[in-house]
Amino acid sequence: MNALIAVVLGAITVYLTYTRYARRIDRDVIQSDPKRATPATLYMDGVDFMPTNRNILFGYHFKSIAAAGPIVGAIVAATLWGWLPAMIWLIVGVAFMGWVSDYSAIVLSVRNEGRSLSAVAHRLISPRTRTILFLFIFFYLLLVAGAFVGIMATVMETQPRTYMGMILLVIMGLLLGQMLYRWRVGLVPATMITVGITLVAIMTGHASEPIFKGLNDGLNSLTGGAPLVTYFDPTLAGFKGAEAKIMPTLLFWALAISIFCYAGSVLPIWRMAQPVVYVGFWITALAMVLGLSGAAIGTFTKPEVAYFSIPAFKGWNPQMGPAGVMPLWPMLFVTIACGAISGWHALFGSVGTARQIENEADMLPGGAGSMLAEFLLGMLALLAISIGAKGNPVAAFASGLGGFISVWGFPPDYAVSLAFAAFIVIVLVVTQLLFRVMRVTLTEWLGEIIPPLRNQHVASLVSIGMAILLVMTGTWIYLWQLFGAANQLMAALSLLLVTVWLVSVGKHWLFAGIPMIFMYLTTVASILVTAYNLYFNVYLPNLDAGRLLPTIGSGLMVLVAVLLVFASVFIGIDGFRAFFKYLGKPAPSARPAPAEG
Amino acid sequence: MHGWQVIRDFFYGMTGYQFVHHAREMKHDSEALFFTVTLGDLIGVPIMPPVYSLRLLPYVVPEIAAWKRQLARRREFWEKEEYDLHSV
Repeated sequence: MNALIAVVLGAITVYLTYTRYARRIDRDVIQSDPKRATPATLYMDGVDFMPTNRNILFGYHFKSIAAAGPIVGAIVAATLWGWLPAMIWLIVGVAFMGWVSDYSAIVLSVRNEGRSLSAVAHRLISPRTRTILFLFIFFYLLLVAGAFVGIMATVMETQPRTYMGMILLVIMGLLLGQMLYRWRVGLVPATMITVGITLVAIMTGHASEPIFKGLNDGLNSLTGGAPLVTYFDPTLAGFKGAEAKIMPTLLFWALAISIFCYAGSVLPIWRMAQPVVYVGFWITALAMVLGLSGAAIGTFTKPEVAYFSIPAFKGWNPQMGPAGVMPLWPMLFVTIACGAISGWHALFGSVGTARQIENEADMLPGGAGSMLAEFLLGMLALLAISIGAKGNPVAAFASGLGGFISVWGFPPDYAVSLAFAAFIVIVLVVTQLLFRVMRVTLTEWLGEIIPPLRNQHVASLVSIGMAILLVMTGTWIYLWQLFGAANQLMAALSLLLVTVWLVSVGKHWLFAGIPMIFMYLTTVASILVTAYNLYFNVYLPNLDAGRLLPTIGSGLMVLVAVLLVFASVFIGIDGFRAFFKYLGKPAPSARPAPAEG
Repeated sequence: MHGWQVIRDFFYGMTGYQFVHHAREMKHDSEALFFTVTLGDLIGVPIMPPVYSLRLLPYVVPEIAAWKRQLARRREFWEKEEYDLHSV
């Protein structure tokens, strides 16, 4: 297998899915009508409800959904089961489920006056569904925040070449906010200055490596080389499991990332979060464009960087740790979430994109088009890991992507530095936003019962503290899979809502109903498998050894898993009840009246 | 030319649009405060004598409908934080 064939396969998938399946559903089932008034035109308020050009909205939606998910998921899945199952799931998932989830969430909101998923659930299913969704979203965010902080701290601990780039990213983000909103500098010159300086710092990161290595050595000498926490990690020693140590450097970088996220969470969004995301976007986009095009032409010009070097298939049920199991079904389907199907997209699509749809004909390119574009990002990550195959999964990804970038003539050191930075940047910018959303969700959920949580600093610190506790368990792969399961369950719940709505308005529902049933059963099963793995592979070994922090952290994860299962069962029961209620007697449509003329 | 325009719009959507979106939110916040102080009696907050509100009225009429729609979606009219995930 080589990269060119994979790129062509990806392009064919996108073309066939969009033209042969998605367009047909849009035309025959949803019957999108360009003359029907959308919430953006009916309720235009100049802020949230704002009719927007379809191409702008496509870019906006794509940028909002394309984050670390497709990259990390593909890396982990290829490491566990090989590249072939991962590629098949990416293709089948996006073709029959992913675009359906994104597109139908937007349709649902547009045809329900721009309401969010939880508001539609409140109307169509039951009031308690909305409350359960809040609980669900908070723990979902906690899991992804814990997984991301853990991944970043681990990479930064071992890659001092990334530090200078990250420091400059933050400084340039702050400068960009000041330039745009206070000094009124134009976007183009401000972008050239800030992105240019960050890029130079990133690509020359290997030059500053010795200085930061000294810093890490100094930090570790504070405890005389002794670890802060020792824990049992089932992913080590070829997945047989071994003792692992958390050194002061890892805690230092986890805390540094947390301070950055805290600032991103409590400062006005224009001051830090938004401009850092913007600078980070250019860095990642540059690496991805150079990487994807390098993968395509590298087959001819530099064949040694374009051939897959990891096994196509590693087994149906790789053993991880002494008692752990990792069956391909259901675990592969939650390990790769974004890129195949993702609940986050539905969540964002319903409250962000749907309220800006100018014309119903724009729902398909905005929802399905963006999802198919993100699938290509997942394919690129899979190519990179399949070709890299050196060191830990993230190092292999960076080595593979660096190889693709080097096709363009960049020296390998510069190319690999850019690839590492692209990975960290994409995770870092998402994490700071996660804590921001987590803080708001926590306040909304518990602010009335626990008044101190209405304070943004308290809510931020509580969120960050819980995430750090999860990081100190050390087992980010389980954390990732639990997050993936929560994310996919969110997608299943969104599809459940869409199915109930389709039935309620008397439309064909199978195109959303079949993916919903598959994702619902798969995700609930995967949460149970992960809870089993966590209990026997992490909780019990750490408890037996009397290690307090890893025991509390892994116990918390098992508890979250159980909560997620209960929440999904409640929502499922209510949803299926509503489904059968409307199956016999469709409800009147809540869609707005057609516009005049 | 059309293809070039599509690409330009797509990149604008990925890049500059977020700043425009946020600038609109900031403008709305300032306007909401201004409207509440000057035309608060429209939502039951009598702050200024109506005679001054009447003098301002011709200038702000186009914005009043949008202001009321925004306020109607908040739990309290002074609340700034919106509990959804836009701009993320």
